[in-house]
Amino acid sequence: MTHYEKKLHRMRRDVYSNEGQINTAIGIRNYIENNYEINLNLDLLSCVQCVSKYHMLRLFKKYYGQTPRQYLMDKRIEKSKDHLINGLSVTATCFAVGFESLGSFSSLFKTKTGKSPSVFQKEQLSRRKIK
Amino acid sequence: MKVTLISIPVRDQEKALRFYTEKLGFIKKKDLPLGGGNRWLTLVSPEWQDGPELVLEPAPNHFEPSKVYQDALMEAGYPYTQFDSENVEADYKRLKELGVEFSMKPTEMGTVKVAVFNDTCGNNIQIVETL
Repeated sequence: MTHYEKKLHRMRRDVYSNEGQINTAIGIRNYIENNYEINLNLDLLSCVQCVSKYHMLRLFKKYYGQTPRQYLMDKRIEKSKDHLINGLSVTATCFAVGFESLGSFSSLFKTKTGKSPSVFQKEQLSRRKIK
Repeated sequence: MKVTLISIPVRDQEKALRFYTEKLGFIKKKDLPLGGGNRWLTLVSPEWQDGPELVLEPAPNHFEPSKVYQDALMEAGYPYTQFDSENVEADYKRLKELGVEFSMKPTEMGTVKVAVFNDTCGNNIQIVETL
């Protein structure tokens, strides 16, 4: 066993020993992964794993380093890129990944990627033509 | 300021280029001469060609402390660099079949699964899947 492996085992014992908590956190992440396009909120997510809202928030942050909302927003932006590359309109993309307003989608997309959705799409489509 | 590069020290750039493209599947993006047989050599992921570039740099050949540090990391089994994997188990099998040597088999660590392989250029590389 390498020095690194020994360290990992120690870390697993110190940080990842509570299987129940880990399974709850993984369950929440899986739910977000599979349902990012619906109107997710803390009440719904805590219901899914039958834990209180604040416990759920704390567990998710502890094991994934982000709040569920931050994780959800990253997931939606990542998925929206796929839709835009496949030629779906900006408006249709916005609703397909679960945003309720075009304004909030566009501004978040720009913050996260540095480009507006329409500029991103134009670049991707013209790149595909060159290929 | 933007984060766009990840540097990997290698002893032999040509050998590293072959390993990272032929075994790991990265795509060459930039390759220009820097004098003395050294190159500015960068690679990207096939599924994220706009993403960060890997720089395969011959630092250990020119700067002794880099070599010492790299050797120490190798001996202790420490990965200094890690890549995301959709499925660590599948990548482990695929790379094993290509003759890649693993110092750590796929191992669950709380909310991630990790494995560590030897890049044949002086480095341990970790692949990680978020569970």
